[in-house]
Amino acid sequence: MSTIVIEHLARVEGHGGISVELEGDTVTNVRFDIFEGSRLLEPLVRGKRYDEVAPVLSRICSICSAAHTLTSLKATEDAFGIHVSPQTELLRELMFRGESIESHALHVFLLAVPDYLNYPSATAMAADKPAAVLLGLRLKKLGNQIQEAIGGRAVHPVNAVVGGFGRVPTVDQLIGLRSSLLQAAADEDTVIDLIASLPATDFCHSDTFFAALRSPSHDSYYGGDEVMVMSNGNRAIVRAPDYRSLTNERSVPHSHAKHSTFKGNPFMVGSLARLTVNPRRLTGKLAVAMKRFKLQLPSDNPMDNNKAQALELINDLERSLEIIEHLLRDGIKDERAMSVHPRAGTGSAITEAPRGLLIHSYTYNEEGRIVSADVLTPTSLNAASIELHLRRAVEQCVDRDEATLTKRLQMIARAYDPCISCSVHLVRK
Amino acid sequence: MGKPTVGIFGLTGCAGDQLVILNCEDRLLDLVALIDIRDFLMASSDNNTQCPLDVALVEGAVLTTRDAETLRAVRKRSKILVALGTCAVWGGVAAMDRGTDRGKLLDEVYGERGWEYDSYPAQALHEIVKVDLNISGCPIEKEHFIGTVASLLNGDLPVFPEYPVCTECRMRENNCLLIERGEICCGPMTAAGCNARCPELRVPCVGCRGPVRDANGTALQDLFAERGFDKQTIAARLRTFAPLGGF
Repeated sequence: MSTIVIEHLARVEGHGGISVELEGDTVTNVRFDIFEGSRLLEPLVRGKRYDEVAPVLSRICSICSAAHTLTSLKATEDAFGIHVSPQTELLRELMFRGESIESHALHVFLLAVPDYLNYPSATAMAADKPAAVLLGLRLKKLGNQIQEAIGGRAVHPVNAVVGGFGRVPTVDQLIGLRSSLLQAAADEDTVIDLIASLPATDFCHSDTFFAALRSPSHDSYYGGDEVMVMSNGNRAIVRAPDYRSLTNERSVPHSHAKHSTFKGNPFMVGSLARLTVNPRRLTGKLAVAMKRFKLQLPSDNPMDNNKAQALELINDLERSLEIIEHLLRDGIKDERAMSVHPRAGTGSAITEAPRGLLIHSYTYNEEGRIVSADVLTPTSLNAASIELHLRRAVEQCVDRDEATLTKRLQMIARAYDPCISCSVHLVRK
Repeated sequence: MGKPTVGIFGLTGCAGDQLVILNCEDRLLDLVALIDIRDFLMASSDNNTQCPLDVALVEGAVLTTRDAETLRAVRKRSKILVALGTCAVWGGVAAMDRGTDRGKLLDEVYGERGWEYDSYPAQALHEIVKVDLNISGCPIEKEHFIGTVASLLNGDLPVFPEYPVCTECRMRENNCLLIERGEICCGPMTAAGCNARCPELRVPCVGCRGPVRDANGTALQDLFAERGFDKQTIAARLRTFAPLGGF
């Protein structure tokens, strides 16, 4: 028996590794190991008052902290029967876009592209190819500017609260964001050129199940409460209150994340899944870019998730500008957060974090204190699919050269943009 | 003299403080040019995991045997060890209920196999090794990180505010959320440095920067109780980010 071990996966958030066992030519075992420590945050919020829940559960992960915050608020508001104003919904969608821009720019240009061009890091790449790194940093900064203006802080936002916002952004702030977004329009073409120029990554093919939020406006991260699971033209819908049927979790000894399958099948969440489930947004510039990327949906190549992130990045920039123009046209109202009247009951919320489906579900008592909390994160949903695709990559690698395999396995895991801090927080029911 | 060698490490946490470093977008490449980053797993796959370091920046709390081993190894190879962020300095959110039975929590999250997992109550870095400098905040402020790099490059130590968030809040001429609106705001006992970010947005301070030096927790508890908050709410609020802060 031979074993390939990647002790500690670099250029991802958190602590994880990969190990592959081979018996002759047969792959006997593939593991995506997660050894991030467990902070057990869900049981720690038990007894907390409704206004303390989002600030604590945001700390599950920094890169997805806006998504965790807003999903938490959506679940609490669902439990209490609160319907926030249309302006609040727009501002929350804009916060999601800001986070997605930051996260995708960081992942695509600073963490993933160095693999394609054979650099160990973005700083090493910056010495030869500063343009790609500077482009990534510029877009990342823009995403953070949006998050700072709306959420009050780029990491762990403070301004979004149950029922709305502490203080809505000023007209001047929105105008500032608009001008930054208009300037970024030129960068959209640079993104397309750069991604289209990357060498092909053709070393893993697999039939794949995709799952994503089906949103009313066909490309929202925040709105909607139905998940669509797709595979080979088959579709299934799961509604927020039934989210547990989406997953069939089991604890596995090598990982602090549980593994999820839908009816026994691993499924992929994230950018590629979103574009597959909501293809209607792929028009205009995005359709042209997709052709240049040679991306066809549904895709059987998990590496295409990087291309999907680049497409979403462009869409997020365009959509952010639309939202801001809408807010400026209608005039931003200095709305206070709605008053909160806690009641006993359960609330569940599904959204799209940058890395895919995110679900928070809480049960409150009549005083508005948490009785139980349950969080399902994209990387835990993806874990089984990551292992499946790692296995396919080994099976499909003809010469089994260890250096080649090691690089390919890391690239596949990284293409999922795994967020390992997120993945270690799941409550058994 | 060559550039100082630097390592950036994450123990158990959300990686938010390392993300703040990457968020120095405009100045990131300039910063990187002034120091020699040898070991930064979140950003690079070419790391020297053994070399001596002038400065180690460590984020996160210690929750596993592996975390403790990593931290001890980093301490051994570093001249200056900096605790980066509230988890590293105080234990952070994972430490809020250190008294709770760990076995029970693990069982709840992972089922009966919970005991197999390597997991301990969260500890701050200083409980395991000697720490030379603390940069608090959840996450840290970008300016504090840049200021620290600048100070260390000049052979100096940075100075952070030793007054509470209330001081900054008053300087921004905000109405007091606690006294005037009866909200449970932790400003009086929380270390400043955020320019009163939350109360400026009409959102009460949750204490994410940890206790200010000489915080008078008892007086604040009494003040909250006078405002009608019950014991459970007060205790939960004061312990959220810094269980070691005297509560």
